Amino acid sequence: MPLDGGPVDDAVDIAVIGGGVNGTGVARDLTLRGLKVALFERHDLGFGASGNSSGMIHGGPRYLLTTPGVTKSSCLDSGFIQKIAPHLLFRIPFLMPMMRGKQSGIMLELYDAFFRAYDDFQPLKRGEPHTRLTPHELLQLEPGLTGDIVGAMTFDEWGVDGARLCVMNALDASERGAKVHVHAMVTALAKAPPDATTGRSTGYVLTVRDVLTGRTSRVGAKGVVNATGAWGPLTAALGGLPTSSVKIRPAKGIHVVFDRRLSNYGLMTDSIDGRQVFLEPWQNMSVIGTTDDDYYGDLDDVRATSEEVRYLVQGIARIFPAVREARIVATWAAVRPTLYAFGPNEDRLSREHEVVDHATDGAPHVYSMLGGKLASYRLFAQEMTERIARDFAPSSVCTTHKTPLPGGDRAANDGLLARSGAITHVASRRLVYRHGSRANAIVHRILARPTERTVVCACEPVIEAEVRHVIAHEMARTVDDVARRTRLGLGACGGMRCAARCGQILEAELGLSPGEGQRQARRFLFRQARMRVVAMGPAQARQEALALAELRSTLGGREDP
Amino acid sequence: MRSVVVIGGGIAGTAAALAAARAGASVTLVDGGTGASVLAGGAKDERDWEDEPPEAPDATLAPLDERARAVVDALGGTRVTDRRALVVVTTGLVRPARGVDAALLDLASLPGGAVLVPDVEHGAWDARSLARTWSASERTKDRGLRFVAGHAKLLAHTEERSFADAELAARHDDDARLAWLAERLREARTALARELVAIVLPPWLGVARERATALSALMGVPCGEALGGVGGPAGLRFEHSRDRAFAAAGVVVLAGRASLVTRHADDDDHPWHVHVAKGRLDCDAVVLATGGILGGGLEYTPAGAYLANALPDTPRPLVRVTLDAPVRLGAFGRALAEPSSLFGGAPETHAWPYVREPLLDHAGVMVHDAGEVKGAAPGLYATGEVAAGPAHTWLAALTHGARAGDAAGRA
Repeated sequence: MPLDGGPVDDAVDIAVIGGGVNGTGVARDLTLRGLKVALFERHDLGFGASGNSSGMIHGGPRYLLTTPGVTKSSCLDSGFIQKIAPHLLFRIPFLMPMMRGKQSGIMLELYDAFFRAYDDFQPLKRGEPHTRLTPHELLQLEPGLTGDIVGAMTFDEWGVDGARLCVMNALDASERGAKVHVHAMVTALAKAPPDATTGRSTGYVLTVRDVLTGRTSRVGAKGVVNATGAWGPLTAALGGLPTSSVKIRPAKGIHVVFDRRLSNYGLMTDSIDGRQVFLEPWQNMSVIGTTDDDYYGDLDDVRATSEEVRYLVQGIARIFPAVREARIVATWAAVRPTLYAFGPNEDRLSREHEVVDHATDGAPHVYSMLGGKLASYRLFAQEMTERIARDFAPSSVCTTHKTPLPGGDRAANDGLLARSGAITHVASRRLVYRHGSRANAIVHRILARPTERTVVCACEPVIEAEVRHVIAHEMARTVDDVARRTRLGLGACGGMRCAARCGQILEAELGLSPGEGQRQARRFLFRQARMRVVAMGPAQARQEALALAELRSTLGGREDP
Repeated sequence: MRSVVVIGGGIAGTAAALAAARAGASVTLVDGGTGASVLAGGAKDERDWEDEPPEAPDATLAPLDERARAVVDALGGTRVTDRRALVVVTTGLVRPARGVDAALLDLASLPGGAVLVPDVEHGAWDARSLARTWSASERTKDRGLRFVAGHAKLLAHTEERSFADAELAARHDDDARLAWLAERLREARTALARELVAIVLPPWLGVARERATALSALMGVPCGEALGGVGGPAGLRFEHSRDRAFAAAGVVVLAGRASLVTRHADDDDHPWHVHVAKGRLDCDAVVLATGGILGGGLEYTPAGAYLANALPDTPRPLVRVTLDAPVRLGAFGRALAEPSSLFGGAPETHAWPYVREPLLDHAGVMVHDAGEVKGAAPGLYATGEVAAGPAHTWLAALTHGARAGDAAGRA
């Protein structure tokens, strides 16, 4: 690692690189233990795998046979997340239909036994035990199913907004004193020269560039956590550490998002190549997923392809043909930082996590977090934090499993909020889902400034007070960031009616130069269109034509965003 | 008397119908409902405004084609002069336009000075933020224009806060309500205590016809709308002015859809037959103006998006005409090929925003210059977005439609 003896703008105990669920989780845990922390995220919180996952903190029944430890820790940690952020979770009961086949009878028995074993873990996450359904019972619950079905299993999981989970962890850390920087790219990592008198290490110097303003700053830290997921080897390379010390096998996964809820329950079935794929009602929409393929492309620009979309639609359409006609409004794509192994098929790779101590590479107190899952992020963060605390906060204890995340401290009354803010009940319920008890503070804004009750995004819906709140308090700096925090512009209209307005609000709240809001809106619309269009069907093509006409006429589409 | 059937009531079809009638033909127009022209805002461009070459602010432009001018005049409600218009957009943009809906405020006609932006509690209209952004544009600075927000109570009751722009625009069709609006604006002007060169309002100035002229007369200062997005009142005003122009020109309008266009060489009187829900229209010439994908004239058919267990029996072209007619499809001057895949084409290779010149945008019926369909018997024309080529803009479609209609009505 190179040496850097220059002056620093700021000094902290630990620098965390990466604003996904691992990075924000560690930053929160370290801060709760009294350490001074700075977090740097080159895009936005939850930009990568954390915000583009299946949006479930599932217990991982998939891993029950191979690595039951993963299932247990996932279920246990899922239970903790429910305690600290109850507002952010929603129950998704799953149905798993079994098609008639040579061994379908035996398979039903096997699955029954399998889910009986999974039932042992369900109480850890307040899950219901599984049940076995006859084809008749199954069709009563989910009339849209087709095919020669011999029976079904049910099992219980929880949905979550992964991006908000990251934001909540970062927000809590920030409110407790951590410095959270979004759109801040670490461009160099060097060793500070040893202390002249003692000859002992004085830590590290990070050079950070603000991607939006171009400003560069330098931060000193005694220790560094590389929590950059699939970017992990790239981050290691910044500090001259061998990329082989951060061995992951990046695997791309995509999801396809429909404009509304298509089914009553989550559905689990097999794809053409025998992989498990699912359809889940998720917030206001339905999501199908997922793929798992080795990835060799640019991590800053991961996109689903039309081929991947067709593969997933085909898999689900076999049992639930309504997905063929439904309107697709988005695709999500991200890259999992799976633990490295040469040989096994992607689906068989371990979902466990691992901490790499770079002391062996000559960089003590520098760590990389590899692997992990959304469901057990808190546990992984705790493990990481405990390694660091051994040296920097030896008497501290972990409290992340019982300290509520922002808004998770008490329930908010959505009916009361709707009445007091004179907003629709739908808007207040969505507000409470996203912000928990902090929805009160947002509605409070309306009492002071009634114009803020205006609905900015009608699809979700999102009111102006919430947009201003996430800019002022949740570190949102671009239209994209606001969308990630509020789901503004991610609904059926794709931001056509709200992106420009959101840009104006950003401009005013952050004092950006005139026209910057428009530029951001254009960038957002462009990015959304690019994600959507790979899944374009006839109905969608009409909307794309409209969106393009709108963009051309009222924002200008020539300038490359 | 020569008879012409125009299929499609958007701007291209409207221009074709009016031009054919002007050429002396008896014209029937089949209108299937809302398309791109009715959804569009009030800017009347000849090409994408960003592609307009830079020029001196007061440069004189080439006049419109004579047939296009006649259509613009017959329609009314649209202002196309020999100078480029300049409009403010509700997104904060300031942009030029070849012509504008007459309800829009044309900044190019104003002297320098202050423009009032009424601060009214409604939807996305954030007067302060808009005034700031518009004032910062080089295009308004060059003209010495400055936008100032001023409190104004333009809503009659609180429910109107949640009304769509078009609903409020419809309220201002009423003379009493317009007078009330003028009264409120006068109060705002007095409170501001400043000399104003104009007032710019949200897209609220009329649906049945534009009300900017009447409001300007009441106020003694130019008043007009900012350019809004899709689904605003400008498209509705277009529908109204179109219907009035058709009535004046004697164009017969038939609501519904055409399904089939055939030619019968043995029918000496009227060789072209257009099949509609309630029978058949026989005529000498047919103009297809059914719009692109947005208007409903073209259908994008990716087999793959609908993939289940079975594949389609035959490969499908990416795009097809929704009307059964003897036409060939093409883009960029070449015939469209079927993708070599039963799963359909890949949007990554033919759709915006992946490609700069997206095939989907340019695909359509292959035509000669005056809109005659290539390869078809004489008397079949196509214009507007259904014709291959980049006619997505209002004035381009009008100009081409007028030309095709004139040819169809005269030949």
